[in-house]
Amino acid sequence: MRVVLSNSAGVPLYQQIKEQVGTAILSGDLAEGSALPSVRALARDLRISIITTTRAYAELAAEGFIATVPGKGAYVLPLDSALVREQLLRQVEDGLQTALDAARRAGLQRDDLIQILDGLIQAEHQDAIR
Amino acid sequence: MTAVARMAMLDLRTVAPYRYQGLLVFALGAVLFSNRPTVYVVALVLFFTSQFAAYPFSVADKAGLETLYAVLPLSRRSVLYGHYVWAVVLFLATASVGTTLALLLARAQDVPFDGRTLATVLTVSWAAFAVNVAIQFPLVVRFGYTRVSVLGTALPLAVIAGTIYKLHLTIPSIQSWLPLFWVAGVTAIVASTAVAMTADRRRVRHG
Amino acid sequence: MSSDLAFALRGVSTAVGNNFALREVSFELPTGYVMGLIGANGAGKTTTIRCLLGMRPIDTGEIELLGHPVPGPVALRQDVGVVLDHPFLVGDWRLAEVERTLRPFYERWDGGRYRQLLDEFGLDLRAKVKDLSRGMAMKLMIAVALSHQARLLVFDEPTSGLDPVTRDELVGIVGDFLIDEGHSVLFSTHITSDLDRIGDYLTLIHDGRIVRTGTKDEVLDAYRVVRGGPDDLSDLVGVQLIGVRRTPTGAQALVPAESADFLGGYVLVEAPTLEEIAVHIGARDPRRSPDPDASVDPGPEPDRRAGRREPDSSMSTEGNA
Repeated sequence: MRVVLSNSAGVPLYQQIKEQVGTAILSGDLAEGSALPSVRALARDLRISIITTTRAYAELAAEGFIATVPGKGAYVLPLDSALVREQLLRQVEDGLQTALDAARRAGLQRDDLIQILDGLIQAEHQDAIR
Repeated sequence: MTAVARMAMLDLRTVAPYRYQGLLVFALGAVLFSNRPTVYVVALVLFFTSQFAAYPFSVADKAGLETLYAVLPLSRRSVLYGHYVWAVVLFLATASVGTTLALLLARAQDVPFDGRTLATVLTVSWAAFAVNVAIQFPLVVRFGYTRVSVLGTALPLAVIAGTIYKLHLTIPSIQSWLPLFWVAGVTAIVASTAVAMTADRRRVRHG
Repeated sequence: MSSDLAFALRGVSTAVGNNFALREVSFELPTGYVMGLIGANGAGKTTTIRCLLGMRPIDTGEIELLGHPVPGPVALRQDVGVVLDHPFLVGDWRLAEVERTLRPFYERWDGGRYRQLLDEFGLDLRAKVKDLSRGMAMKLMIAVALSHQARLLVFDEPTSGLDPVTRDELVGIVGDFLIDEGHSVLFSTHITSDLDRIGDYLTLIHDGRIVRTGTKDEVLDAYRVVRGGPDDLSDLVGVQLIGVRRTPTGAQALVPAESADFLGGYVLVEAPTLEEIAVHIGARDPRRSPDPDASVDPGPEPDRRAGRREPDSSMSTEGNA
């Protein structure tokens, strides 16, 4: 399992773990049924706190990606596309809501917001080409 | 092995690195006194053990062993009693060596081995040693070896020696009182352990 | 449940003469985690640890260690490993002698583990304790602490004076120790970077009082760091400024997170690093600081006593060894 943490990403460590493991599961890199390191082993290897890894695993479990068995560790659940899709849709909604809140405080209009969205999509597209 | 015995062993290991210095002193003394009556050899034993009995306290002070005693599964009672057991065992061991040495020297000097005198001197030495330890240990426990210092440990001994001299105690005169000296020594040690426990509680409270 | 806690201190106070070394100290650690006890030198970290380990009597409050009240049965020490900033062993002992000396006291002494750890740490059995460098001496004490199957490791300033490589190795050792969820660690330090990442719980101590305790996230989330121009922090009413630091070009302080909402948009408000929290809380007593706005976060129970004296920060007043 590959988890690479960034100190400067501005994203909380537990979230980085969650996203990377989640992405790996969605892309198939982490096969269904494969065992994940225990929260403690992962904390030891990444040199972060156990509470952080526990939280990452807890959220992954809540979102249906993994299951944790007390005393045995965690393993990858079969991809239930409906559950996963639901999780992803919720992430989009949450993200957009956060953007909306910030936009309101900054005094942006709907068009400004859409312009920013298009710009981001375009930038990603260009990154993908490069 | 009980905890007290383990602690006495710990005291032994504490001073073990310095055994050669101690043995050197002992050997030097034996050489110095090789032409003298065997009594002096035993006096040497007494002096040596009186200083070395308290040596674990000295090393403990410098190495911070009080922390070790507090970390190890060892009660304060075991620590203190262990110090006393170490002292007594040290005396018994060196007394045996001293007696053997006296025997050998008597042979070398071609002098009859005066067992009676030796026994008397050993008994008085035991009493003197015991009283010295009985006074010394609670003081060291309460104030630490560095504060009490070598002077404090040698002083009781000097007082005892002076008393014996002043009272003109001669060997024949005390030969009939030998059992009393043995008992006095044991009593002194036992009483001292109680005082040391109190002194220790004081130390923890007031530093 | 008591057995779920590695240890707990409740309302612990202890005095040295007329000075209170600890005042109403309360914090606890659930089993299986590492807690960082952070504070400046003289804040009371060592005193707290000595009280926790039963090495020092307390005046009020209660202490629980591995489910037992302290002072507790001597056998409790079988389960506790202690690492201080100095080896409390006879300098002339060789490392092999150290094992022979300590082994009889521990029921579960694992000689193989001791030798294996010395090997991992690069320590020679024939070396003498006094010949070890500071870092090597710390590793020796860790080897000793890990060789009798302790459940709780207590470190008191283990990393002062150590190079970053050794400090990093210590982080790895703690991580390994915590693989077993029955193991817990208390780590006192004034170097926040030691615990930045691996700390599960944090307790901040200043002037013998607990300023804040909780999970690392809770503690970090309880404060904001505020930065502004030299005069920007002067007229804030009702906002408690902690450890204000002024320079000709600006001012910086820590504030409780709730106060951040009252601050105007002309100051920069951010989440603080652990280092910033420690620095501002540990700032010197306001009566000595030239800054009239400076104050020290007194935590949940403000100190209302007048004439509060700063405790003697000298370690030697904490009693004989």
